[in-house]
Amino acid sequence: MDYIREKAPPVREDRLKACNAFGGSCCELGNQSKKGCLNGIKRTFAQTQGCQLNLSLAILNTLRDVVIVVHAPIGCGGSSVAVAGISKGFKRLRDPYAKGLIWLNTNLDEADVINGGEEKLREAVLFAENEFRPSAIVVANSCAPAIIGDDVDGVLSQLQSQITAKIVPVHCEGFKTKIMASAYDAVYHGILRNLLRKDDDEENKIIEDDLELIKEQYRVSRTVNILNVSSMSIFDEKELRKTLEGLGLKVNFLPCYSHPDDFERVEEAALNVSICATHDDYFVEHLKEKYGIPFVLRSIPIGIKNTNKWILDVAKFFRIDEEAQRYIDSETRELEKAIEPFKKVLEGKTAFLAGGEMRVLGTADVLHSLGIKVLGMKGYHYDKFGDDLLDELPENEKVIFNVATGQPFEQANLLESLKPDIYVGHIGGNGWAAKHGVPVFPIFGQAVNYMGYGGVYEIARRLARLIRNPIFNKNLSNYTKLPYFDKWYKEDPFKYIDDSFLKN
Amino acid sequence: MSKFVDRPRYLCALSGAIGTINALPGGVPILHAAAGCGGNIGNALNAGAGYLGSGYCSGQSLPSSNVYENEIVFGGELRLQEQVENTLKVIDGELYFVVTGCMVEMIGDDTNSVVKKFKNHDKPVLSAETGGFKGNSYKGYDIILETLFREFVKKTDEKNSKVVNLWGIVPVQDVFWKGNIKILKTLIEKLGYKVNTFFGDGETLDNLRDSGEAILNIVVSDIYGIEPAKVFEEEHNVPYISVQFPIGTYATEDFINAIADRLGIDKKFTDKLIYDEKKQFYSYFERLADIYNDIDLQRYAVIVGEVNYAQALTKFLADDLGWLPELVVITDLLNDTDGYKDIIKSRFTNYISEFTPNVVFDTDTSSVKKHLNKIWKQNDGSKYYDGFNPAFILGSAFERDLADDLGVPHLSVTYPISNRIVLDRAYAGFNGALSLTEDILSVLVNGR
Repeated sequence: MDYIREKAPPVREDRLKACNAFGGSCCELGNQSKKGCLNGIKRTFAQTQGCQLNLSLAILNTLRDVVIVVHAPIGCGGSSVAVAGISKGFKRLRDPYAKGLIWLNTNLDEADVINGGEEKLREAVLFAENEFRPSAIVVANSCAPAIIGDDVDGVLSQLQSQITAKIVPVHCEGFKTKIMASAYDAVYHGILRNLLRKDDDEENKIIEDDLELIKEQYRVSRTVNILNVSSMSIFDEKELRKTLEGLGLKVNFLPCYSHPDDFERVEEAALNVSICATHDDYFVEHLKEKYGIPFVLRSIPIGIKNTNKWILDVAKFFRIDEEAQRYIDSETRELEKAIEPFKKVLEGKTAFLAGGEMRVLGTADVLHSLGIKVLGMKGYHYDKFGDDLLDELPENEKVIFNVATGQPFEQANLLESLKPDIYVGHIGGNGWAAKHGVPVFPIFGQAVNYMGYGGVYEIARRLARLIRNPIFNKNLSNYTKLPYFDKWYKEDPFKYIDDSFLKN
Repeated sequence: MSKFVDRPRYLCALSGAIGTINALPGGVPILHAAAGCGGNIGNALNAGAGYLGSGYCSGQSLPSSNVYENEIVFGGELRLQEQVENTLKVIDGELYFVVTGCMVEMIGDDTNSVVKKFKNHDKPVLSAETGGFKGNSYKGYDIILETLFREFVKKTDEKNSKVVNLWGIVPVQDVFWKGNIKILKTLIEKLGYKVNTFFGDGETLDNLRDSGEAILNIVVSDIYGIEPAKVFEEEHNVPYISVQFPIGTYATEDFINAIADRLGIDKKFTDKLIYDEKKQFYSYFERLADIYNDIDLQRYAVIVGEVNYAQALTKFLADDLGWLPELVVITDLLNDTDGYKDIIKSRFTNYISEFTPNVVFDTDTSSVKKHLNKIWKQNDGSKYYDGFNPAFILGSAFERDLADDLGVPHLSVTYPISNRIVLDRAYAGFNGALSLTEDILSVLVNGR
């Protein structure tokens, strides 16, 4: 894979044939996916969703010592108010002096969409430099400047010679893709092009003697980069770090909550370890191309089975799989015993899950090991990275899979007919599920442990707590109405998914 | 020419439009826009407005044509038509309102023509161009009101001398809008009038449809809702009066007097009403006599926010609470040519307390500290230094960083408010001023 010479990465429809509209069984989805024919399905009725810019900001907003410039009319990036308040606290878990979230919006108005917005972009970047002196200025480009033809890269490369902050253009124009996850590629593309050590950079390490050189080489040979995601917590990081450090490895976390300079050292690792294939494939493939660093890109460490696999994948690379297996055996023994009391209360319950493809499939495994039956799932998008997990799902011909970025109307129909005991879901969709009266368990949280063995215990513990008193949502369902006609619940939940092109 | 904004306290016209339509009973926005517009706006409206939630049909439920590259190249009108047709089959609304994002306007989609095809549907389907580049959230509020007044409010020559309409309090941007509307409506009802507020408790679309029978429109703002008031006057021959958003005894007295004057209400009647309300207010406020004076609760203050709140908070702090609101930063997008800045500045003069605040217009969050440094001398190392303390910051959640820097307490009362939950809390009028006093002073006694 080598797209780095391009200004912008390809969108995921083109690169991965990813899809965001499907309804059927998990088994059918897997088959269709392997045939490569999911891409191109559309909806004739749709509800809103996020775009690449929204999701790019979810990652970019975590970076420390950075100012973000959203080059757009005044509304774009407005959802950053949802994290502005918590950003500083989370950043300070990594650096006690970190500043809070700072972003500028270039405020393109009617005159600018006619005359171009390059001058405003220039002013905003210069202001960011002079006012805040950040290590990097990230420019997130939106739909409007792309249509009016602003030469964003031209303006920024000119500015780069005048300022010390590293400028990182991120091409995440919303209209270009239906697949929000294209944002991951857009952000990594910007990082790969602008924050990695340049090929012609002077080697700035001074090696005093051979012993030090050998020590340094040894350090690198035992170091892994774990690629984190913005939906995980510091507790998840601690859990994963503890596991790999226990096996004698050194661990760096990238890209979320990193300092821009951290990316210069990305090459000082023997292995890149993804925890979410659909998040990282673009980055690890390019790092392999550029630095020859191999990668692990398969499983998400959510659930016992997936965590075991994740650890073993890493361990095999370092030829420490025997030690790892011993560690896994002892950890799982202890964990199985610890979740026993929760299993007693959760056994036989049913669930519906919604969220990112990998997280949903990983969480399904957790629920399964707690004796909870998964009736259906909704993935925000679907691509080949889900295929293995889908295959391993027990009774996957019976489990419904809805591929939908948001689209709570399809979910409402499904929830009314499936009537699960528990809903596990994503921010933005949880409130809608709540109005069905079902207890809701958030599928991620930046203040809880969800990954690794500790995560399984936490999920079990919290689920058992949640069902002890589910009356809040029951009350809500008695006094609120969802915005759908009654007749909608009697229709095919996937009525408005138009897959006619598949049949042609 | 306008400039960039450092951490804006509003979104775009589309956002204001969605917030406004959601606040209408049974209002269903249909977005003709790129996919991310609704997602971005839904998140902002929830988190920025004290956790407003997704409401009846907002957040992820917003129907949206989600146009992509294909529509941008070939036009999105067919997709819009399909989306509206199917929305009418799936979503149960009382009023459907198609609103547009930047992209479909830039490619020249004729949204209004598409929507006209649905004019015979049994529920009204309206449309307005609200592309984000047209202005900020307040502009979106104005556009929606103007469209409603032109196309939804029934024309009538028969006026009802006991009915008035009230607007100018912008849902979402005034995070306490619903509670505030309730308080102001109750006050005007005490003058003997029925009040249509369109967005408040108990309102129906019929109230809005019949609002042309009113004899006066009361716009509770110097700028928000003024253009719609002109449209209303032109379409329905109802004049308007612009009054300031009131917090506290003096401002609310002015509010009542201005309206009563205009309606020709007997002065004796309003004097009695104001007297009773103030008496009631002081029956609570007098409790502060001890604690305020025992521990010296007077503070310097900085106020940051939109026009409506900036003038109301400052007057309340200066004239009711006896504080020293030294600096006011007004964060609206205003230009120098339309004359609004002079009107707004005049609202900060002639205080009963004779206090005079420093008022600046600045959209940027990082500017607040700079303005404070300009008006308050920095310590040059002197042993005796008259510092800016004890002080208090009334602004948005953005001001928490400034408060931390200055080491002073802070309360979020202007958008965005992500650090409080807001349900029916209100700060308007006499009663609202009591709540505001509770909230401010509670911060100061929190450690006791």
